[in-house]
Amino acid sequence: MNVRAANVRAMNGGIRNGGIRFDGVTVAYDATVVLDDFDLTVEPGEVMALLGPSGSGKTTALRAVAGFVRPRTGRVLIGGQDVTALPPHRRGIGMVVQQYALFPHMRVEANVAFGLKARKVPRGEIAGRVAEALEMTGMDGFAERYPRELSGGQQQRVAIARALAVRPGVLLLDEPLSALDARLRAGMLTELARLHRELPGLSMLYVTHDQSEALTLADRIAVMDRARLRDCGTPQSLYRAPGSAFTASFVGSANLLAARWCGEDAVELDGGVRIRVRGSGGGEGEATLCIRPHLIGLGEPPGPSGPPSPDVPDMNVLHGAVTGLQWRGASHRVTVSLPPSGAELTAEVRELSSPPALGEKVSVHFAAADAVVLPPGGTP
Amino acid sequence: MPAPYSLVHGRGARWALRALFLVLFLPLFALPLLVIAAASFATGWSGALPNGATTAHYADLARGDSADALLVSLLTAAAASGLALLTGTWAALAAQALPRRVRRAVNALFVLPVAVPSVVVGLAFLVAFSEPPLLLNGTREIVVIAHTVLVTAFAHQSVTAALARLDPAYEQSAASLGASPARVLWQVKLPLLLPSLTAAAGLCFALSMGELSATMMLYPPDWLPLPVRIHAATDRGALFTGAALAVVLMATTLAVLLAVSRIRSKASYRQPS
Amino acid sequence: MTLRARAGRTGMMRAGMILPPVLLLALLFLYPLALVVRDSLSPDGAGGGALSTRAYSDVFGEASFRDALLNTIGIAAGATAGTLVLGFVLAFVVAFVPFPGSRALSRFIDVFLAFPSFLITLALLFVYGTVGMANGLWTDVTGASSGPFDFLHTPWGVLLAEVTYFTPFVMRPLLAAFAQTETAQLEAAASLGARPGRIVRQVVLPEALPALAAGGGLVLVLCLNEFGIVLFTGAKGVTTLPTLVYGKAILDGDYTGACVVAVVNVALSAALYGLYRMLLTRTGAHRARPV
Repeated sequence: MNVRAANVRAMNGGIRNGGIRFDGVTVAYDATVVLDDFDLTVEPGEVMALLGPSGSGKTTALRAVAGFVRPRTGRVLIGGQDVTALPPHRRGIGMVVQQYALFPHMRVEANVAFGLKARKVPRGEIAGRVAEALEMTGMDGFAERYPRELSGGQQQRVAIARALAVRPGVLLLDEPLSALDARLRAGMLTELARLHRELPGLSMLYVTHDQSEALTLADRIAVMDRARLRDCGTPQSLYRAPGSAFTASFVGSANLLAARWCGEDAVELDGGVRIRVRGSGGGEGEATLCIRPHLIGLGEPPGPSGPPSPDVPDMNVLHGAVTGLQWRGASHRVTVSLPPSGAELTAEVRELSSPPALGEKVSVHFAAADAVVLPPGGTP
Repeated sequence: MPAPYSLVHGRGARWALRALFLVLFLPLFALPLLVIAAASFATGWSGALPNGATTAHYADLARGDSADALLVSLLTAAAASGLALLTGTWAALAAQALPRRVRRAVNALFVLPVAVPSVVVGLAFLVAFSEPPLLLNGTREIVVIAHTVLVTAFAHQSVTAALARLDPAYEQSAASLGASPARVLWQVKLPLLLPSLTAAAGLCFALSMGELSATMMLYPPDWLPLPVRIHAATDRGALFTGAALAVVLMATTLAVLLAVSRIRSKASYRQPS
Repeated sequence: MTLRARAGRTGMMRAGMILPPVLLLALLFLYPLALVVRDSLSPDGAGGGALSTRAYSDVFGEASFRDALLNTIGIAAGATAGTLVLGFVLAFVVAFVPFPGSRALSRFIDVFLAFPSFLITLALLFVYGTVGMANGLWTDVTGASSGPFDFLHTPWGVLLAEVTYFTPFVMRPLLAAFAQTETAQLEAAASLGARPGRIVRQVVLPEALPALAAGGGLVLVLCLNEFGIVLFTGAKGVTTLPTLVYGKAILDGDYTGACVVAVVNVALSAALYGLYRMLLTRTGAHRARPV
């Protein structure tokens, strides 16, 4: 009791109000547009994940904030101030990248002090602030080491400490956990979430291609594809009501089936199978049906005693043959091929004591409320 | 691809640095070579620019023994670089089978000729090979052998470096497929090393073409390479003839390097770099 | 025959493959050098007579030798310092302020390295020689009968030529080192608020130090051993150890004296080369990177 609380207080006091705004930012190299008319606002204190496959423009967006790429058009604002024309060293940001980028010839201490010296922080203050940043990331006790003497996870903690020591209003994280193994990644995610709680004034822009990182850490997720922003919202809203097939497949896993509207709350799969869907006013023509695997049950739905029943018209029951079976410890993934089109549906169900055999005829069921209809496209 | 990060941001600062670069670079490195080329066509040079243009110096060369000198240089360089490549590659490959310490000693031994003045190598040849059992003084071979000794270090160094870069997985998977060491060497290692070998050969050839120090100590009267001719010409004050000879030397060296780099680019698909 | 013995034998055979090139080098390089040392200690004729250091004291007593020694060290040290500064500036611009054609430039440097050194002196004769470009320009402009540039036959001329010729030798390892400097580190430094000057001093320079040391050490040794540049300036003006070896052996026929100077030259080069290797391992300590 409590150095940590005092450190947290000190750092919070130092952090300026952050917040980032992209205002119609377009970045292009020669004829290739890598970021296309990008608009996004990150509120002060918010963690925004930029999620997308490689080449989607997410790293470019981050580098535009850092000042390493210059937009062809548009503006970037940090804390309400237009920084589009400022060089990187005058933007007051912290940045953490996948390959750590620690200075190999400096001890941990000197690495963390680097930004403070560069910003001409009074000499007497530096040692305290270095200790504070190292303590916050759990790296106190490693101050005398060289980066090469640390493990990957430790190096990334030092990189975070180095970025935090300057008390930036904005922390940019570019795939910070991609170089770590799965176990370390989980631990670091918890640490980052804690830092986010402890530093409520700090905005973070978190670039990743890993949906679980985005879902765990982000207040909001911006989904990017081919240089454009596709969707933006809280993890829950993107998961429950994705705006496009692309978002559905990138945030959580999804069964995506080509379908066609037939009525207000029903669609028809190829071959005439009719499916009742979440009532949304309906539509016309081609569509994509999206059902999350864990919302699909195997076998006939539970009897009248259970909440949903075959009498309830909102329950869809389909019949098919098992074409794939994966055991995943706590669960089984069962893939079922639906006649006549052969469209496949994967259900994720609690581990089965007697799983079905390949080729066995089974039924699957899901509630109409869990069947979401999206604009067409994105189906296999 | 993201553009490479440039350390200097201001437009003005960037251009100032580029200007500084040109101011330093052009007079120091590009000018000397241009001056030699210009002088080889000049009637005289007593102002900012040559006094007049002439091809007389080249015509003189064509009449004199200069064609012989070129031939002597080409033969010497071809023989020396071939021998050096053979010796250097052999040593680099054989050193791989040695324990670490011995290997380092062998590598140090092969680098040594770079650290010893070439003039001293020439003197040492005079001292050692002027008496039986190896009476070579006054022969053409002594020049070729001296060049070989001097350039072997470069061949050995670049092959050793290429071997260190070579992924052992190639060799191991070849061996796992049942290839004998000899087959691994001929069908896997040497083809993979080919780009480095040709580059090393080009460098050795160029260095031998320009070798002056040891040659000045050793050349017999019937074996005068180009550099010796150039020195003889400038020493008697015929600077413009020397310049023309130097242009011949540079052009030949460049042509050989270019030819070698073509082999290299043909072979380079074998080893992504 | 047991398997182990067989494996041992093939191992021996493979190790034995090193013998032919090593023996060749011993015969053609080490043996002649050993004879030079022997002859420098036998002033009374090759192989005959007792070992004596008389030749050494004779040579050390000559003023021309002391001049050559001082010239050699002075020019080599000056040229090394000059190439380090110039090489760093030029390589830095090529690596970090890229401009169209900078790749062709590194090809040009490779070619430049393949040309013999004396070409530079030859070119300087046309540029700064008594009737060269610079003086011609001066006499044209001022009307004077002769120009002010007359340093080619002094140590300064040799220094200029050596700096010119050897700068690419420093640029090459530096360019390789700069290419390995992670862009991410420069970006991290800039994002932390460091200006370009600080980034160069605290990130780029420390990481390029081993390359700088390697290039500098190589240039130092090559300058100590340089012959062509000095010979082409007209050997009367400036004498260095290598030209003294040539002069004594070929012009004077004094083989014992030449051997003495050669031994001194080799010892000097070896000592400085050793010093530079030591320096290299020491500064190289920070280079090890985590994998």
